[in-house]
Amino acid sequence: MSHDIVIPLLSNAIKAGTILLLPTIGEIFSERAGILNLGVEGMMLIGAFFGFIVAKLTNNPYYGIIAGMAAGGIASLIHAFVCITLKGNQIVSGLALTIFGAGFTTFYGQKWINMNLSNPLKGFAIPVLEKIPVIGPILFMQDLIVYLSYILTIALWIILYKTTIGLNLRAVGENAKAANSMGISVSKTRYFWTFFGGLMAGAGGAYLTVAYAPFWLDSITAGRGWIAVALVIFAMWDPIKAVIGSYLFGSINALQFQLQASGTSIPSAILNMLPYLVTFIVIVISSIIVKTKHIRPPKELGIPYFREEK
Amino acid sequence: MFYFEKRKQTPLKLKIAIPIVSLLIGFIVGSIAILITGTNPLMVYKELFLNAFGSWYAFSETLVAATPLILISAGLIIVFKMSVWNIGAFGQYIMGAIFSSYFAIFLDPSIPKPLMLSIMIVASLIGGALWALIPTLLKIFWEVNEVITTLLLNYVALYILKFLMYGPWKNPTSYGFPLSKTFPDSAQLPVLFSGYRLTIAFIFALLTVAIVWFLLKKTRFGYEVRVIGDNPTAARYAGINVNKDIIIAMAISGGLAGLAGMSQVSGIIHFLQVKINADYGYTSIIVAWISYLEPFLMLLASILFGGLSSGGYSIQISMRVSYGIVGLIESIVLFSLVGAQIFLNYRIRWKKHES
Repeated sequence: MSHDIVIPLLSNAIKAGTILLLPTIGEIFSERAGILNLGVEGMMLIGAFFGFIVAKLTNNPYYGIIAGMAAGGIASLIHAFVCITLKGNQIVSGLALTIFGAGFTTFYGQKWINMNLSNPLKGFAIPVLEKIPVIGPILFMQDLIVYLSYILTIALWIILYKTTIGLNLRAVGENAKAANSMGISVSKTRYFWTFFGGLMAGAGGAYLTVAYAPFWLDSITAGRGWIAVALVIFAMWDPIKAVIGSYLFGSINALQFQLQASGTSIPSAILNMLPYLVTFIVIVISSIIVKTKHIRPPKELGIPYFREEK
Repeated sequence: MFYFEKRKQTPLKLKIAIPIVSLLIGFIVGSIAILITGTNPLMVYKELFLNAFGSWYAFSETLVAATPLILISAGLIIVFKMSVWNIGAFGQYIMGAIFSSYFAIFLDPSIPKPLMLSIMIVASLIGGALWALIPTLLKIFWEVNEVITTLLLNYVALYILKFLMYGPWKNPTSYGFPLSKTFPDSAQLPVLFSGYRLTIAFIFALLTVAIVWFLLKKTRFGYEVRVIGDNPTAARYAGINVNKDIIIAMAISGGLAGLAGMSQVSGIIHFLQVKINADYGYTSIIVAWISYLEPFLMLLASILFGGLSSGGYSIQISMRVSYGIVGLIESIVLFSLVGAQIFLNYRIRWKKHES
């Protein structure tokens, strides 16, 4: 394949990957704090919806991203309240959040269906770096959100492994009781990182409708939230590995799009199935690796914490 | 500050109040959502109620919607009791529909109706069960998280259905619409009363509730399910073959979801198409949860949510209120229920903050 096919393909893969990277990282941090949030799909839908509407009404894509993040964050607080304050079952509450996101956006989204953004998020090249052969046009001719996602991933990796904040966060997810006796507030930590997960899911959703596919459709996220939840296992709860996973799936998305556009004889249903089927296979393989390498999820993932219980 | 104190016993009043209050909260939040769109929520709820329970026909349509919910939830009750999370009823329903449709589309339509329907029922049970067994075996052998695999397989099943509908199984005379050919009469489930759409599948669903009740309350398997649900490690020590029980439970759960899919295509739609109401798979999770995993309460909850579903479709047409309101109400009910579970086992105590 020649450069003029491969470079746009990979550049598009980064964009498609960013839609997954943001929610995946958010979920990693939420799970590190011990809160499993299966509502990513719902939070992404809500983020996508508010992102689209605000970007449409203000004609400013950046306001759209901010609105989508805020909406995802607020939605995550329902889950936080049910799971942290009321110690509810995290699996069921997460599912409720997904049903909520789908119901909410279907209910209010009717009149926005098939509308387009006249001013979607545009990219700009980063001077000097864009001149690097091959890598430059792929990584450094993107938009602000993609650049921020590079910085964010590195910053979060440092926070997780090199700072007290990260140490406390991991302590809460591994052994809440011990963390509590060290003076860390388990509830506050969990609230904060669940909220962060919501912000990131909302950002991923908003990026989808403000930059990648600037229009509104019912269920426009199409299961990407579930792929993000699965990628957390692939990433083994590590932000840097999440980048690899997300871009890998971004490539599948981009390739699928390219093949469809080129009028391949492969039925579109099979092409559309690919991301889910590949995620499925990858999850099976990474689960086996996780098991044999004795890597495990945060020990208290999904377990509510009762402070007064002796 | 408040804290939680463990209860010795759960008062029955509370067990009754929690689902009712959860439903109320769902409808109150739903009415706020409707109000925002400038519609009168009381009118919407009145229409919803009349379209769900207001006449014999409306009620029969509610039972039509309840039938798949009953079948799917009956299976979910068993697996949820073991704390195995089958979130894949959506996909298992689709696979049941596909497997049974194969015979409706390709078998000689002149074979006797009882034979044809029996083949289709068995096929749907097998289709759903197989689809549930893939994640189950992966869970048992390699500890692959079944929540995620059952979910991903929902999408895979959906695209298999789309592939068939846009490709090999498409009816050439359907003017490009993605539909299969209409099922022959021999492949259509008989209705119970002429003029109504309620089919014999509703009787199967009632029987299923009785069977699941018997299985859980009166058999060794049911006893093992309860022990595993309480503590899987202890169950293993007690010599219970946990893996075997999980496989059986998931096969039943997937099979029943498959049967629900068959009941829909064979009994209601009469052909295979992309939209076969597979979201019953998610609603069933709420139904199972609101009924404390008790078979007879589940029957009641299925009829209630069946009414919400059939009434929801009606108001979408008559009042132009989006069907999304149903999902919205359902999710709030579910949130309230999950949140309120704590009051079953704990009581809230207040204490002055000392510092």
